Amino acid sequence: MSLLKSFTAGLRSLFRRRQADHEMDDDLRQFLEASVEDKIRRGMNRNDAIRAARVEMGSFESVKDGIRSASWETGLESFGRDLRHSVRVLRTNAGFSIVVILTLALGIGANTAIFSLFDALMLRALPIERPQELLRIGRLNPHYDSEPNPTFTNPLWEQIRDRPEALSNAFAWSNDRLDLSQGGAVQYANTLWVSGDYFRALGIRPAAGRLLTTGDDRRGCAPTAVLSNAFWQQRFGGDERAIGSSITLNNHAFQLVGVAPRGFSGITVGRSFDVAVPLCAADVIDSPQTRRLDIRAWWWLNIAARPKPGFSPAQINASLAAISPQVFGAVVPQNWDPQGRRNFVKSLLSAEPASDITGGIRTQFGQPLRVLLAIVGVVLLIACANIASLMMARSSNRRKEIAVRLALGASRARLIRQLLAESLLLSFAGAVLGTFVARWASALLVRYISTTRNQVFLDLSIDGRVLAFTAAIATLTGILFGILPAFRSTHVSLSPAMKGDADATPTRRLHSGKWIVSAQIALSLALVAAAGLFLRSFVKLASLEIGFQQDNVLIINTNLQTAKVPVAARLSTADAIESRLRAVPGVLSAAHSWNTPVSGYGWNDYVGSDTPDGPSGEDRLVWFNFISPGYFETLRTSLLSGRNFNAHDTPESQKVAIVSATFARKFFRNRDPIGGIFYIDPKAGKANAPILVVGVVKDSKYESLREETASIAFYPLSQIPGNAETMSFELRTAVSPLSLVGPIQSAVGEVNKAIPLDFRTLSRQLEDNIVTERVLALLSTFFGGLALLLAMVGLYGTLSYLVARRQKEFGVRMALGARPGFIVSLVMRDIAIVLAAGLGAGIAISLSSVGVLRKLLFGLAPRDAVTITSTVILLAAVAIVAAWLPARRAGRIDPMVALRHE
Amino acid sequence: MPDQPTELVQGTLDMLILKVLALQPMHGYGIASRIEQMSAGTFHVNPGSLFPAFRRLERAGWIEPEWKESETSRRAKYYRLTSSGRKQFKAETAAWGRQIAAIARILEA
Repeated sequence: MSLLKSFTAGLRSLFRRRQADHEMDDDLRQFLEASVEDKIRRGMNRNDAIRAARVEMGSFESVKDGIRSASWETGLESFGRDLRHSVRVLRTNAGFSIVVILTLALGIGANTAIFSLFDALMLRALPIERPQELLRIGRLNPHYDSEPNPTFTNPLWEQIRDRPEALSNAFAWSNDRLDLSQGGAVQYANTLWVSGDYFRALGIRPAAGRLLTTGDDRRGCAPTAVLSNAFWQQRFGGDERAIGSSITLNNHAFQLVGVAPRGFSGITVGRSFDVAVPLCAADVIDSPQTRRLDIRAWWWLNIAARPKPGFSPAQINASLAAISPQVFGAVVPQNWDPQGRRNFVKSLLSAEPASDITGGIRTQFGQPLRVLLAIVGVVLLIACANIASLMMARSSNRRKEIAVRLALGASRARLIRQLLAESLLLSFAGAVLGTFVARWASALLVRYISTTRNQVFLDLSIDGRVLAFTAAIATLTGILFGILPAFRSTHVSLSPAMKGDADATPTRRLHSGKWIVSAQIALSLALVAAAGLFLRSFVKLASLEIGFQQDNVLIINTNLQTAKVPVAARLSTADAIESRLRAVPGVLSAAHSWNTPVSGYGWNDYVGSDTPDGPSGEDRLVWFNFISPGYFETLRTSLLSGRNFNAHDTPESQKVAIVSATFARKFFRNRDPIGGIFYIDPKAGKANAPILVVGVVKDSKYESLREETASIAFYPLSQIPGNAETMSFELRTAVSPLSLVGPIQSAVGEVNKAIPLDFRTLSRQLEDNIVTERVLALLSTFFGGLALLLAMVGLYGTLSYLVARRQKEFGVRMALGARPGFIVSLVMRDIAIVLAAGLGAGIAISLSSVGVLRKLLFGLAPRDAVTITSTVILLAAVAIVAAWLPARRAGRIDPMVALRHE
Repeated sequence: MPDQPTELVQGTLDMLILKVLALQPMHGYGIASRIEQMSAGTFHVNPGSLFPAFRRLERAGWIEPEWKESETSRRAKYYRLTSSGRKQFKAETAAWGRQIAAIARILEA
């Protein structure tokens, strides 16, 4: 009540200041008159009474000041005055202000950018009803898994769906891409496969039409689809008439039934969707031989649920464990070996809060983002130190102003407040500008980490948390770089300062500037070392022996199943396309294959050979590919011995393979691998045909650049089992690969116009594989360089300032016969201690903190001696140059000029 | 012979103002001279501390201003104790009594 009264009274006097002022004057005048009259009554004459009363009262203004200081609004008012004064001061130093604001905009902007990514990735709640109670279902095979595996097959999902004992609202989903085009260049729609209960369980309401329900998700369903709001706007202009029409996905018509609400992009962080289709529609798209709805080893679904009301987490997990034997027992993969099948049945279902789930993009970028957040934080700290030095140097120019204000009765606290207001104004101006930098930078970063196959989608709208973060670091930086100069510059002895004596500040105080520089050197050393590690790690990855030549190779992924090419005609169609492609001008050689290197897809199995001392355990794992005879020539993988595939390798002839050098060494030891025989492990008791090795090729990367050299077996496409749904073409070109897209489309069109074509270069495919390392190397090098630059500017500036301050001393020394070299060494010796301390502290920081980088480095220990040594040498060299310039200037001081300066 | 005017004990001015106003509404100078009178000239309150105290007490809601004819039949600003001010005065008086007694005990010991 009284708080409210005080508040409103304060506001009133704040906004009606003149009136409030008048009121105070009135009150004081009344008091004065009453006092005068009282004195007259007691016998004074009028003039004496007036004088006495005036003396008692003192100055009106100081009484009014006292009244004002008893009210809260005065603090606000003087803060407003401080701000106005600050604006004036900063405007008169426009150059200084602009440099500081731009530095801060960059520093705070970088922090905000990284934090907003971190926020979107790790902190933000899903845009669904009661996100905190959502449970993610996993399966734990006690023999293999240390933590639950979140992927499921459709047969498993159906088992779980039909056993609602433990969970309510269970639903399944999968992120995929389907092709919108009807032949020609593919146009992917990010597709969300959803079970019937998906939208209902999440509490999502349609923006138009209706959402998918259990009625849409029945075996044998007619394909239906729901659009995301963004896709609806983009493709149909938000037209409601789109509902009821149909869109084509992988060459099949899907009827549109409705639109999801704005802002709903599914529940996989980092992914978005264009269309959502029911799981049952997979049967429309899949070929009859490979139906993902029935395959018991196609792990494509994620499952989540809400707990049954009143169930504790322990109860839920207990009842999931209880149903696990029946669930897994009912859908054992038919072609697994007996041991694998026995273990499968022992798997257990588990549930954990979905918000804790790390996986996919969270695992990929969570740790890198934390590291980057630390890096940009340190950069900002170094920048703060620079600005503090700058402000300290500048405040020595303002010493006179400050001394005058102190002499006029301003309290020191008041002046410190004023100076802090200046720094806060600077830091907030930097933060506002930085927010724009951040929006741009974070969007750029998201584009940069998106790969052709995985488009990263993050909601980067600035929310309260990001704003609070930015405001907090702006305040913190403002205080950090402002507090020391504010205290320092208000601590002056008045009379020499007012006389303009430059030495009014004790020189002892100048030395704190050097220790700031020392800290800067230490921090920038840590950052440069981290950058060096990331850079070396990236270079190692990028310059690995990959076993093929990546430049000027175009990859065209096609889907023959979508194009409805009959199974029997698939291989001949692919052959026909290859020969057309070879005739396209600019194409040097052409090939096609089931898989391409480092595509992210793979096929492996355990293999046994007829060598007695062959490998065992995981060493028996071999990766497979099926290729046309032109494959090795096109990729430039050299054939080490034996022969290439040829027209004599037919479905009916002896099964043959070309193996990698590692395969040959592992499976055939010292024997000649050519003519050797190996077998793929028997499936479900059925022995596989013996495979004859006819050639050996150089080792190459299969799935990832990071992998250990894998054993690979290549088979001729003519002997591929199954039905070759997808096929990739590889072209080595004499010109820029993507310039051939047009001619290639028409060449393929001559064979079959319905075939969807997805173009990418092999080098892009490899880049996508090391995107995290690339981003880390790029950003850490950028920020490391920035830190180094800032530290050296700091060193140079501080030393220049010190030299300028000691000009007189040096002048005297030289007048007394000191040689320039001595002066230079005086300065350099001074800075050597600073440098040594900085480097020492920096090495200590690096060694103790780089451990967290271990998982992010490739082929490099975090305490890599080469990196740290070269960082120290680099820093020392640059620092000596930065220090040498002002030191040399000290040696050139003309004693006459220096002494006359007074 | 009255004592020399002395400074008020820190923090007692508010209480004294409340005491004066508890007797009757009063204008600014009246309050000052009443305190001086009641202390037999020991306490002299100058406007520099009196007016900030008025502002404080007013903001706290313990006193409120009203306009009245003064003794010299001019319109003057009087302060009046509010009901919460009366409560506050009682509380402060009680607390003060306890403090005085405690200090006296210490000094006599």
